[in-house]
Amino acid sequence: MMNKSRREFLSLCLKGGVSAAALTSLQLQALSGSVEQRSFSDYKALVCVYLYGGNDSMNMLVPLSGEQRSWYEASRQNLAVQEAISLSTASEFEGGVGLHPAMAPLQSYFDQQNLAFVGGVGTLIAPTSLAAYQAKSVPLPQHLFSHNDQQATWMHGQEKQTLNTGWGARLLERLEQGNVFGSNITIDGANPWQTGTNTSAFALSKSGVSKINALSGYEPRVEHVRRVMQTLFSQASHPLASAYASRLSGSIEHTLYMNTLLEQAPTLTTEFGESSLSAQLAAVAKTISIQSQLAAQRQIFFVSMGGFDTHDNQESTHPALLGALANSLGEFQNALTELGVAEQVSTFTMSDFGRTLTSNGDGTDHGWAGNQLVLGGAVKGGDLHGAMMAQRLDGPDDVGGGRLIPAYSNEQYFAPLARWFGLAESELTDLFPNLSNFDAQALSLFKA
Amino acid sequence: MNIASEKFKSVLQLLGNHHSRTDKHVENNSNLVYVCGDYSVIKVLNAIASNAIMNTHLTLAAFCLTTLVACGGGSSESNSTASDTTSNTTTDSQTSSQSGGSATEPSSEQGGSEDPQAGDGGEGEAPEPQNTPPEVVVDITQPEVVKGAPLTLSANVADSEDTTFSYLWRQVSGPEVALGDVTGPTLTVTLPDTYQAAADSYQFSVTVTDPQGADTTTMIDVEASNAMSPNQAAMLLHQGTMGPTLEEVNAATGISETQWLDAQMALPATYHLPLLENYPDRDTPYQINRIDAWWKATLNANDQLRQRVAFALSEILVVSDANNALKGEPEGMLAYYDLLLEHAFGNYRALLEAVTLSPVMGTYLSHLGNEKADPERNIRPDENYAREVMQLFTIGLDMLDQDGSIMQGDNGQPIATYSQQEITGFARVFTGWTFAYSARWDRPSRNYSLPMQAFPAYHSELDKTLLNGEVIPAGVGPEDSMQLALDNLFNHTNVGPFISKQLIQRLITSNPTPQYVERVATVFNDNGSGVRGDLSAVIRAIYLDDEARRYGSVLAYQGKIKEPLLKGVQLWRTLNAHSEAGNYFTWNLDDRYGQGPMLSPSVFNFFRPDHQPAELSEQGLFAPELQIANDAAMIGTLNQQYGDLIWRMAERHDTLNPSAIYLYGQSDISLLKTGGLSALLDRYNLLYFAGNMSQASRDAFIELDQYFANKSAADRVGQLLFMVSLSPEFNVQY
Repeated sequence: MMNKSRREFLSLCLKGGVSAAALTSLQLQALSGSVEQRSFSDYKALVCVYLYGGNDSMNMLVPLSGEQRSWYEASRQNLAVQEAISLSTASEFEGGVGLHPAMAPLQSYFDQQNLAFVGGVGTLIAPTSLAAYQAKSVPLPQHLFSHNDQQATWMHGQEKQTLNTGWGARLLERLEQGNVFGSNITIDGANPWQTGTNTSAFALSKSGVSKINALSGYEPRVEHVRRVMQTLFSQASHPLASAYASRLSGSIEHTLYMNTLLEQAPTLTTEFGESSLSAQLAAVAKTISIQSQLAAQRQIFFVSMGGFDTHDNQESTHPALLGALANSLGEFQNALTELGVAEQVSTFTMSDFGRTLTSNGDGTDHGWAGNQLVLGGAVKGGDLHGAMMAQRLDGPDDVGGGRLIPAYSNEQYFAPLARWFGLAESELTDLFPNLSNFDAQALSLFKA
Repeated sequence: MNIASEKFKSVLQLLGNHHSRTDKHVENNSNLVYVCGDYSVIKVLNAIASNAIMNTHLTLAAFCLTTLVACGGGSSESNSTASDTTSNTTTDSQTSSQSGGSATEPSSEQGGSEDPQAGDGGEGEAPEPQNTPPEVVVDITQPEVVKGAPLTLSANVADSEDTTFSYLWRQVSGPEVALGDVTGPTLTVTLPDTYQAAADSYQFSVTVTDPQGADTTTMIDVEASNAMSPNQAAMLLHQGTMGPTLEEVNAATGISETQWLDAQMALPATYHLPLLENYPDRDTPYQINRIDAWWKATLNANDQLRQRVAFALSEILVVSDANNALKGEPEGMLAYYDLLLEHAFGNYRALLEAVTLSPVMGTYLSHLGNEKADPERNIRPDENYAREVMQLFTIGLDMLDQDGSIMQGDNGQPIATYSQQEITGFARVFTGWTFAYSARWDRPSRNYSLPMQAFPAYHSELDKTLLNGEVIPAGVGPEDSMQLALDNLFNHTNVGPFISKQLIQRLITSNPTPQYVERVATVFNDNGSGVRGDLSAVIRAIYLDDEARRYGSVLAYQGKIKEPLLKGVQLWRTLNAHSEAGNYFTWNLDDRYGQGPMLSPSVFNFFRPDHQPAELSEQGLFAPELQIANDAAMIGTLNQQYGDLIWRMAERHDTLNPSAIYLYGQSDISLLKTGGLSALLDRYNLLYFAGNMSQASRDAFIELDQYFANKSAADRVGQLLFMVSLSPEFNVQY
């Protein structure tokens, strides 16, 4: 079935006398046997859930008792989270680890050891102490506290370069999966994480399928229209027009192909909610369900949630955001279990930065260190990896206003994700250039 | 005398817009030129004009029309307020020929006469000549002087003693013109069509000699403006409107770029708030209604340049109701857009203040209701607006050279424009502001349209560190702090290049040369009259630059990818899209175009000015609009345009749904029927490609039409337009 549709599709692609310039990576791959492509004995997928705006993740995990709690209440004041859910973490932390009550839907996944948290993570170039920060004796990430710059730093997994690439795309390229169509999929448009030198993500709409009306219906008309389109696309001489043409040409071909496969996707019994993130994760689950037809053994997915820049009304908006996040993640994990790939798919969060411990009255401002979560059957769950940072104003990590210096660099957080995905130990520092300044083994996020 | 004055008026009309040039003449006025040995009367034409409608313009103009009076027998003399060395030369040669080699060298040492007023003083002292030389005024017979067109100059002579004269015309300066017959009372020439946006300046002279040999040499300055070709007009209007219609392109053809810009800027603003209508059966407006108002203005307003510039500003000074509570404030959102329209040709400082005090911006970036610190509760001012007003609205993150490039510090790294210290300072500035007419701080009026009002008790009384080491001392109140802080921001050297470059990118080209950015930034810094931030001057500089007009060498990558929404807008404008009910209810613009007015996902807009798609990384080119050109969005736009041009072409329907929007292809359908495919493609080449449709694309459209040859004309037009809409050449704004 799948081989037939793929053949049909490729033959359709080639009917129109397509010029070499208009050929997409998919077609090139089909035409040429020489494309390097590593083969794996298993299937794995990484799903990035990006929380745009800077999640106040120091309120996602809060201390429950003792001095830690006192510091926390003193710093967070009216924004301090009450009635947090006490998590029984494998590792012990002074003051305990409380989960924001809005995230109750995820408690069972934690208890079943499918969910772990990673504490005290942020962008760093080298280990940084308060004294070194103040003395400017250590290199710091550029434009700390700026949204788009810090988003880029998280997604690039390195500081700004002349040519910027995302660590998700680099990971695929290192594993020789960059040319495999279907290995790199976004449900939320283009993003730096998935954009590499020779790799970019296929963007799927939230509904999963985008029927192309102009290319539906009476076959001779469709073929004629398609041939004229290809002629036009291959004519573009202006560099920007040419970039546009290759985009649109690729979009049309990839979308037709994906639609052919997605129409055959099984219907899941797992129900997804109404939120945007639920819709996106439902589309990811649907795509994963046809991964064997896609023949992509390694896939990365990108979904996102906005609204985390809680400068105001944080008391009402942040719990709603965390609640929606928890619900969607739970639904997604259920769908993966239904598909039988719970252990082959790992979901993790990234966000611009943590937020200030101090309040601006009804919200918080841009901070630095934060907490993240990792979900999946392969995850060493039921624990907090990394640090439960003291939420203490003017403490040893506070550079001012409750902006905390990360205890772990985000590259230390990315390293185990890449390792689990199949990257050799020796290649980790190639992927993450600053990792050599840190202990690459510090965070052990996956079951042995 | 009166006749002469009347003539002046016509000259003035021609010169009126060129003050800087006439100023130069005034300055040069001290370079007086002398001919013959015996100098007497100085006939300065401003003296002629003085008893008539004397005003500044007349005075300035008079210096442009310079009369050199030479005496035939050497008894009387001329003088002059000759304006430059060119006329100096002219006078020399003329004198030389007429006095049979006895001409005296011009004597610039005749010191006293270098005073421009010397003429008036000299008049009384001079001996009365027997024969007065003719008085000459030169007329330009065309109402408008344009490049590439004939120009006729006419010498009008007043001389009480004589009726017949000999004439000699010369060109003094300007691009070379073939003069033809130079001995008649009129001179007719065809001006060359030079390839530049700026007007061409010419100076001609005519020497009129009476039978006694007394002669007068009169200069005339002529400025020839561009007459845009249809393709040039279409290109300008693609850059300067929301998407031009054929009528608009035709109206702009034959006038100059400057004239079009002037006319557009003179139009009253079409504001959006008055266009807000509720659903027929609802009491309050919704987000969809404010988008309807945007469509009404965008599609139908005449002040298209203002609409386009405001749209560009809405993508720099971003607010959005896409995913927040502002969705419930359509009046406020439109009031915000209206302030962008209001200040589009105003001053950036005033715009910045209006934006800062907008309660919509105050809500969006949370400085509305922002309070001074409460150290007891570890509360400090909200830093959101403080950060973004610097990073996005004024100076950016890195110190810039005036050409927009990032300055390198001693260590080779960029130099940060601000640190946390300045953020803290500006955050204190933006405290104590809430809705206008609020009864109390904690009883806000929730008026989203009027500028915010300050409550001093909630404003930080601490000192406030600004940029460049400036500090507002402790105790300064909210209004004064705001003014000082905005002045401090506005006067930072980054603002000119930072804002100019982004406006160029939104309006003209994704990859302006540093020189282009610097030329515009220079105008931002000083409009020529010492005013900083004059957006009308900045907008003119952006559109009239040779790089924008594609005069001179054209860069291969000049131009930009059209924003998907604006592609849709042009098709809707040219095809008169409307519903019979008169409303434009457009849901899910994000799915259709990947963008929508004031619907950005964040304050960072839909795309960043430095977005470099992978396809262009080797060439080092930016294409911000391609940041939203992902597969799903491109297919969404494709489907939208297919639906518009095929399914919603009104002529394909027998009955119309009164509330649905249709596009009307009648004009194209008629042209296809009467003029054939070739005529229709000629029209599309002008209207959609500004003349840049390649032969290969044209052939492809012809091939497309072959399949549909037996279909109705409406079908054929729809299919052609759909293929136009996705063609790469249409998708570039050149």
